[in-house]
Amino acid sequence: MTSNHPPKITASHVNVFYGAKQAINDVSIDIGNDEVTAFIGPSGCGKSTFLRTLNRMNDTVPSARVEGEIELDGENIYSPAMDVVQLRARVGMVFQKPNPFPKSIYENVAYGPRIHGLASSKADFDTVVERSLRRAGLWEEVKDRLSDSGTALSGGQQQRLCIARAIAVDPEVILMDEPCSALDPIATAKIEGLIHELKGRYAIVIVTHNMQQAARVSQRTAFFHLGTLVEYGATSDIFTNPREERTKDYITGRYG
Amino acid sequence: MSKSLVPELPTTAAEPPARRPTDWTTGAMQKRIRRRYAAERRFRLLGMAAVVLSAAFLAFLLIVMLARGIGGFTETRVALPIDFAAARLPVTPAQLRGRGADLALAGAGLEGAVDAAATTAFGKDGADLLSDGAWLTVRDAVKRDPALLARRATVEVPVASAIDIAVKGHGTPGAEATVQRLQARGLLSRGLNWRFLGNADSTDPTRVGIWGAFKGSLLTMLVTLLLAFPIGVFAALYLEEYAPRNRWTDFLEVSINNLAAVPSIIFGLLGLSVFLGTWGLPRSAPIVGGLTLALMTMPVIVIAGRNAIKGVPPSVRDAALGIGASPVQVVFHHVLPLALPGILTGTIIGMARALGETAPLLMIGMRAFIAAPPSGLRDPATALPVQIFLWSDQVDRGFVEKTSAAIIVLLVFLLAMNGLAIYLRNRFETRW
Repeated sequence: MTSNHPPKITASHVNVFYGAKQAINDVSIDIGNDEVTAFIGPSGCGKSTFLRTLNRMNDTVPSARVEGEIELDGENIYSPAMDVVQLRARVGMVFQKPNPFPKSIYENVAYGPRIHGLASSKADFDTVVERSLRRAGLWEEVKDRLSDSGTALSGGQQQRLCIARAIAVDPEVILMDEPCSALDPIATAKIEGLIHELKGRYAIVIVTHNMQQAARVSQRTAFFHLGTLVEYGATSDIFTNPREERTKDYITGRYG
Repeated sequence: MSKSLVPELPTTAAEPPARRPTDWTTGAMQKRIRRRYAAERRFRLLGMAAVVLSAAFLAFLLIVMLARGIGGFTETRVALPIDFAAARLPVTPAQLRGRGADLALAGAGLEGAVDAAATTAFGKDGADLLSDGAWLTVRDAVKRDPALLARRATVEVPVASAIDIAVKGHGTPGAEATVQRLQARGLLSRGLNWRFLGNADSTDPTRVGIWGAFKGSLLTMLVTLLLAFPIGVFAALYLEEYAPRNRWTDFLEVSINNLAAVPSIIFGLLGLSVFLGTWGLPRSAPIVGGLTLALMTMPVIVIAGRNAIKGVPPSVRDAALGIGASPVQVVFHHVLPLALPGILTGTIIGMARALGETAPLLMIGMRAFIAAPPSGLRDPATALPVQIFLWSDQVDRGFVEKTSAAIIVLLVFLLAMNGLAIYLRNRFETRW
C-alpha cells in the first residue's frame, strides 16, 4: 500500500467455485480505507463474483464455494464467528440494476436503520432519512414526496435512492456492482460526482465496464482476466503505463 | 525486377451484385397479406365466440336458478279464523310466560285446535290445506299476544306444499280448484318465507330452512381456512426460500402436485378412516368436514403460493440481504407481502372448490338428516352442497324450488367469500 493506513480489506489467495467451475483463481488484494478502488476487466472475468465475496452475497448462491481468507479490519469474514447480517450492514452494496423496495422513499431509507435498531424515535428516523438522502444528493429532488413509492422515481434517482439506503446504516465499505450500467450519461455523471463526495467517508469498491469511468472515479484499479487478478496499482499507472501486456491490450481496446 | 512476395491487395473491392428492391405489390405478396388479415379476423372471432358462449351459459344458469329458486324464498298464507275461547285450551297465562310456553301449548292440544278450526273454516279436508307447521305459527302468535286465548282471532298460517305449488302455477287440477275457491274468498296472501332463512332440514318442504346447512358450511370453511391457509403458506415459503434443491424436495414437489389432483372422494375416505376411525372424532361434524377439506385445499394453496413467491423479483431479496436483513426478515418484510396477492388468489380458488365439494362430506356422514342448526364444531351438521344434493333427491314437488333456492344461497355465499378475498387482495396490493 502506498498510504500509511492499514488496508480496510485484505484478501489472500481467494478461490471461488460455482459447482466444479472455478470463477476466481488465487486472488490476493488489499483495499484501502479512504479511497475508491475500481475493478475492471472483460465480461465474465470474475470481477463481480469477487466483489460479492467481500460481503458474502455469494452465500445466497447454493453452488458457490469460497476458499482463502478475506479480512475486514483484520477479522476473517468467513470465520464461523462472523455474523453475516452484521457484516452486510458494515459492508453495504449497490447493485447493477436499481432495486428500490416497492415501498415509499422514506421507508426505503429507514428500513436498514429500523432492522438494525439504529434509530428509535420518529425524529431519529427523520434525521437519518434526511441525512442519507442529502449525502446521496437526492434530498432536494424528493423532500416533498417522501411518501411516494421508490419505484416511481427515474432510473438515476432510483440508483441514488439505493445508495442512500446503503448509507443509512452507516457502513464502513460500499460495494458498487456496475452501478451506472443501466443509466443514461447524465444520471451516470451524477452518480460519479456522488462517488467523489463519498470518498474518504467510506471505502468504496466499484466494478465497472467503462474504463473512462474507472479512470475518472478511482484512485486504484485492479484488472481482472479469466478469474485472475492480472494487475493492481494506482489508477494513473494502470491507464498510462501498464506493466502487463494483457492490461495494455484491454485498455487500448484490443479485446473486451 | 523481382516481384514482391506479398500479394498485392486489390485497390477496390469487387462491387457486390446490385440488390433488386423488394417488390411488395406482387400477387403472391398481396395474397400473403390477405391471408394474414383473414387469420387475424378468424382468431378474433373465435375468441369472441368463446367469450359470448361462456357468458351465455352463465346467464342461462343464473336466470334459470333465479326463476326457479326465487319462489323458494316466499310462501303462501291463508287467513285462518280460530275461536280460541270455544276451544278452551287448558293453559294458564302464567304458563305462557318464560321458557315453558312451547311445551304448555303443545301439551294443551293447540295442534288439534288448529286442525279443528281448519275443518270448520274450509270444510272436511280443511286440515290438509295447512302446512304441518301451521300450528307453530299460531303458537308463536299466541305467545306474542296471550290475550288471543280468550277470544276469536284470525291468524295467517302457511298453506300445505301442494297448495303453495298451485299458487305458484305448477299444481295438480284438484289443488288448482281449491286455490281458486280460497282466492275467491280473498283468504290467500303471499309473503317472505322467514323460516327458510332460519330453520334447518325438515321432511315438510314448507317447514325446511337453509340456515342449518349454511351454518354447517360456514363452520366447515372456517376450520378449512384456519388449517389450510397457514400450513399452505408456510409450506410454500419453506419450499421456495429455505429448502435445498435435491431429490427429496423434488419428490415433495411432485407429491404435492399429485395431491392437488387426487379425486375428492378419496379425501373423504381418508377422513372417514383417520378422523372418524382412528381419532374418534364425532360423525357428521363440521370439524371433521373442515379437516378433510383442508387436506384437499392445502396443496392448491401450496402450489399457488410457490408460484407467487417465485414471481417476487430476486432483486428485492438481494436489496434486503445487501443491507443486512436476515433471511426471516427478507421473507416476512419483502417476499411474503409481495407474494400475498397471488397467494390469496390461490386461496380463493381452493376455498371455492372446497365450498362446493360434496363427495368427501358424504363419506364422513354430513349427509345425515339434521333438523337443528349446529351450535358448535362438534355438533352434527350438513353443508350447503350436500343439502342441495339431499333435497334434489326428494320426491315431494315442494322441494324443487327449495333446491333452487338453496343453490342461490350457495352462490351468494361463494360470491361473498370471493368478494372478501378480492377486497383483501386489493388492499394488500395498494399498500405497496
